[in-house]
Amino acid sequence: MEKEEFVRLCQSLSCNNNHELTRAILPVVGEYLALPNKSKLPVIWIETNDSGDNNIAFMNTTYPYLDQVFAEMIDLLYSNTFMAAQGSDALSILEQASLMYKSKFVLVVEGAVPVKDNGLYNIIAITEKGAITALEAIRQLEAAAGHVVAIGTCASFGGPSAARPNLTGSAGVRDVLKREIINVSGCPVNPDWFVGTLAHLLMYGRPELDSLGRPVLFYGFTVHRHCQRRSYFDRDDFASKPGDIECMFSLGCMGPRTGADCPYRQWINHVNWPVKANTPCIGCTNEDFPDGSTPFFTTLPEKSEKDEEKKSTSLKET
Amino acid sequence: MTKQSIIFSPVTRLSGLLSVEAIIENGRVAEANASGTMFRGYEWIMRDRLVTDAVYLTQRVCGICSLAHGAAASYLLDEIYDSELTENAQYLRNIMFAADFLQNHIRHFYLFSLPDFARMPDRPPYLGQNLTDARLGFSDNERLVGHYFEAVKAAQESHQLLALFGGKAPHQHSFVHGGVSVAPTADKISQALALIRSIGDFVKSRMVPDTELVARVYSDYYAIGVTPPRLLSFGLFKFGKMNENNLWRGGVVSDGRYTLPQAQLINEDITNSWYVSGQEKGEKGEDYLPDPYKPHAYTWIKSVNYTGLPYQVGPLARMIINGFYSGGTSTMDRIYARTLETLLLTELVLGWLNKIKPGPPPINQKKTPVKNEATATTDAMRGALLHSAKIQDEKVVRYNIITPTVWNFAPKDKNGNRGPVESALVGTGIPRSDMLFTILGRTIRSFDPCISCATHILDLKKNVEYEEVF
Repeated sequence: MEKEEFVRLCQSLSCNNNHELTRAILPVVGEYLALPNKSKLPVIWIETNDSGDNNIAFMNTTYPYLDQVFAEMIDLLYSNTFMAAQGSDALSILEQASLMYKSKFVLVVEGAVPVKDNGLYNIIAITEKGAITALEAIRQLEAAAGHVVAIGTCASFGGPSAARPNLTGSAGVRDVLKREIINVSGCPVNPDWFVGTLAHLLMYGRPELDSLGRPVLFYGFTVHRHCQRRSYFDRDDFASKPGDIECMFSLGCMGPRTGADCPYRQWINHVNWPVKANTPCIGCTNEDFPDGSTPFFTTLPEKSEKDEEKKSTSLKET
Repeated sequence: MTKQSIIFSPVTRLSGLLSVEAIIENGRVAEANASGTMFRGYEWIMRDRLVTDAVYLTQRVCGICSLAHGAAASYLLDEIYDSELTENAQYLRNIMFAADFLQNHIRHFYLFSLPDFARMPDRPPYLGQNLTDARLGFSDNERLVGHYFEAVKAAQESHQLLALFGGKAPHQHSFVHGGVSVAPTADKISQALALIRSIGDFVKSRMVPDTELVARVYSDYYAIGVTPPRLLSFGLFKFGKMNENNLWRGGVVSDGRYTLPQAQLINEDITNSWYVSGQEKGEKGEDYLPDPYKPHAYTWIKSVNYTGLPYQVGPLARMIINGFYSGGTSTMDRIYARTLETLLLTELVLGWLNKIKPGPPPINQKKTPVKNEATATTDAMRGALLHSAKIQDEKVVRYNIITPTVWNFAPKDKNGNRGPVESALVGTGIPRSDMLFTILGRTIRSFDPCISCATHILDLKKNVEYEEVF
């Protein structure tokens, strides 16, 4: 399958429940694996400061389901969440895998990286020699990785882990490493965005990225552009409370400035998404989530005013 | 006399980052320190925001039990804004809540716990399993591993059921104060019914017999990982206009005596936690500040106790307090009670779906707060959960959360009392050194560890007026 066709499939076939997208992609991934000198994508997954929601979101992938991803797409060599090995056995695998698959493995980082106090707010393991902070671990793995993927908004931009007042000095991976990061943002990530990005890496290499380092095929358009309730917005017909069927702009919807394909992709086997549930989009894929989205139920212009107020107050204070 | 100190790190197959350091003396665990090694400071994050942000924002505390935080925050807001809930709203809320429990319990048993008892295939992510005490016969082992892969779908279906009404998962959108923003309609109810029947079939035909098999083959674990018989639950599944009734009652059980929980009897202790000691929490209500360099401290998790003693929380506590289970407090009792609860939940969800009357979104949000502070309690998947807030002009002055992990994974307090996990580990026999991780891993995971949930601080005493919460 040509890359252009893959991108077209991702964008056009995601809008129904019949899983035509993944049905179309899985056999292709299989074909790819059957070719000589090709193998599954080796993945090393480091969990840092987050809520664990992205690994749960990943478990919700359908067509391919999680077991199919493990069997057919990726070799998940290290993952605090999934690996059977434990304790020092797990750390030995991490060490071996990073050497054996040098410059081939994909480093997946789940969560923001605390940098204050030498990163002591997140320790991925303790050894006889001392604590290994998330900061140290990902800096050590940086050079050996083929690609680095930040899964979720915390890993991409800091997210809730870096929300004000950010006591731990948490930051997105892009602010900690010096190389290109593929950001697959979302709080949590939609499993299609993550598994689709891995599929792209496996079959075609690096996907085209937007200015925030995110795959264009998932984040290229705003929620607003594809929203089923766009006609209400265009007629100034707004909801007055959660549960209403009109446009959610009046309830703080972030759709107009949030890049994501939720309206047509939807969530959890593609059955629903926040606006369909009669609530606003809260802009969870954004660089400034959650601080730029709260108060969640205040309209966009008013949120920005509040931001301005905050800025001017803090200026006055300083 | 042999004495050896060991490090078990990372403890994998759980949510978040956990390490355990232990002293092994004459083939037994003589001491154990459980370290939660991540900190985010969530209560600080809630400060100065509108209290109505709490439902969506506090769900981000924990990805595997996010709806429980959304529920606790919604109950809190219901009290602050004086919500009146309809029957449909409570059914829908409880259906979503139970669905999140189902995904958690199914994932915990198969994806996290089963590799402690069954040999997994020799490929990633199962390489290096090193199961040094594998006792299942070949065909039993193969069947259970097959069910691991079937569990992937049953857990996904549980989240699909949640998302039908909740918009997405984790971090659902429709369960907010005042009710639920999604209309229960025939199409959704029938889709949900199909899903719960499929999940129920999986639980009845796979998870229950698999648990029974593991419990039979590894029956010595009814005598391993035993904690002191102190159990606590805040109750679960609220009904009534004002959330006044719990379907499953809360309770405090100590040596077989039952009392109602009272929030003012909960105390915290940071002796061995990485927070600044001796800090005065004065009028302004300053929260504890982190101190990662504090000498002798070993965890970000604080110690919490009830009447000065540690209490175990979780499915075992709920099942015993509600009279559904009458076993002990061992590793296998915890595993068994969780599966029993899973089975009961599938039946509850089916019943609730049949009771809903189709209609408009059951939601009515009032605009004006009638209180400036409130405390809400419920149980989450792993046990008792408390949210409390103090507000001014609808903005959060303080927001406090006590998660189940803070109970179960509590470090030693100032009197040297061990928390439930540490007390479960101490005394465990380790016949051979290569069995260390296998044996300790089984007991640690029986508590369903979630360290993301522990990544914050709490401060109850000075800022919230307490009354009996039940």
